[in-house]
Amino acid sequence: MPTQDEIYSKVSATLVEALNVDEEDIKPTSTLQGDLGAESIDFLDIVFRLEREFGIKIPRGELFPESIFQGDPELVQDGRVTPKGLEELRAKMPFADLTKFEQNPEVGNLSNLFTVDLITRYIQGKLENGSQN
Amino acid sequence: MRLKDQNALVTGGSRGIGRAIAQAFAVEGARVAVVYRGSQEAAEKLVAEINNKGGRAVAFQADVADAAAVEACVQRVEQELGPIHILVNNAGVIEDDLFVRMKPEAWNRVIQTNLGGVFNFCHAVAFGMMQRRAGRIINISSVSAEHVNMGQTNYSASKGAINSFTRALAVELAKRGVTVNAIAPGFIETDMSAAVRNKAGDRIVKFIPMRRIGTPEDIARVAVFLASADSAYITGQVLTVDGGLTLGAVAE
Repeated sequence: MPTQDEIYSKVSATLVEALNVDEEDIKPTSTLQGDLGAESIDFLDIVFRLEREFGIKIPRGELFPESIFQGDPELVQDGRVTPKGLEELRAKMPFADLTKFEQNPEVGNLSNLFTVDLITRYIQGKLENGSQN
Repeated sequence: MRLKDQNALVTGGSRGIGRAIAQAFAVEGARVAVVYRGSQEAAEKLVAEINNKGGRAVAFQADVADAAAVEACVQRVEQELGPIHILVNNAGVIEDDLFVRMKPEAWNRVIQTNLGGVFNFCHAVAFGMMQRRAGRIINISSVSAEHVNMGQTNYSASKGAINSFTRALAVELAKRGVTVNAIAPGFIETDMSAAVRNKAGDRIVKFIPMRRIGTPEDIARVAVFLASADSAYITGQVLTVDGGLTLGAVAE
């Protein structure tokens, strides 16, 4: 089982390749969209590379909850995530800290959740649960 | 050699415009996968010609309208030649008829081959190109998308859709170094236009300011440009190559 630091290193290297950024631009708190310039098409590539790098399967929507992004009206209303949507987020992203987001659940702020640290913790969780291929 | 060490795949590559493109690419140093549906002899003849001149080409059979066959074809091409850098969606069919008489099968075949083929092949290669941060997708459209004729509702619809698809896909792949463009040929001397040219005789050139029918090579040279590094900042464009046909000037 790799340590959290080892996982972070590998995640960082993966993002360098997927997003074409420099290693020094990546910090644990770096947001994928805001700081590292990721777009929706990049998320696809990131998932693919993480699967390959760590030998895990990342089911669609598990790491990046697409249904929220796609504006499902039960989950998003007028640009804000609904209580049902928040429930869905909590269920789908147990590795994320949603307290700050819940205070102002604007969809635009959702992307701030996706930090390098979040991915690291997600991967760690997957490996601990033995979800190897 | 503007395409040195590039791997190119050309659908409908055994005849007409596709053939000229495959040849032109090979001359520029590309390794070419010639994809054909039924014209095996023509495909193998072309491949032999290219190989004998010191190039490298291989023929592959696939019906572009069959998604599973296309996936399998792309895998075989990548096994044989390596990753695909250039995709030319040239395979196309025509089944003209006056609309009120047109059978659903004629509509479906044209849409599924001309447009479906573009989808199937792009889908099979796009992710790989995206990951390598390099790629050229060239869709062969037609002036008929905009400059319409009687009896071509299915053909024109398929080509119009190709133009829109070209723009939409260009936007998705632009950040990843993949350009997606189309060429809209006018009247070109191929099997597809033979019947029309035969019937119309000299009358067609009255509509073409350059006073000549286009050759497949006229299209192929533009394809080389779009496939090369020279077109790196061009994406989502439909280049009309028609000798001035669509300018609408008829000879006196």
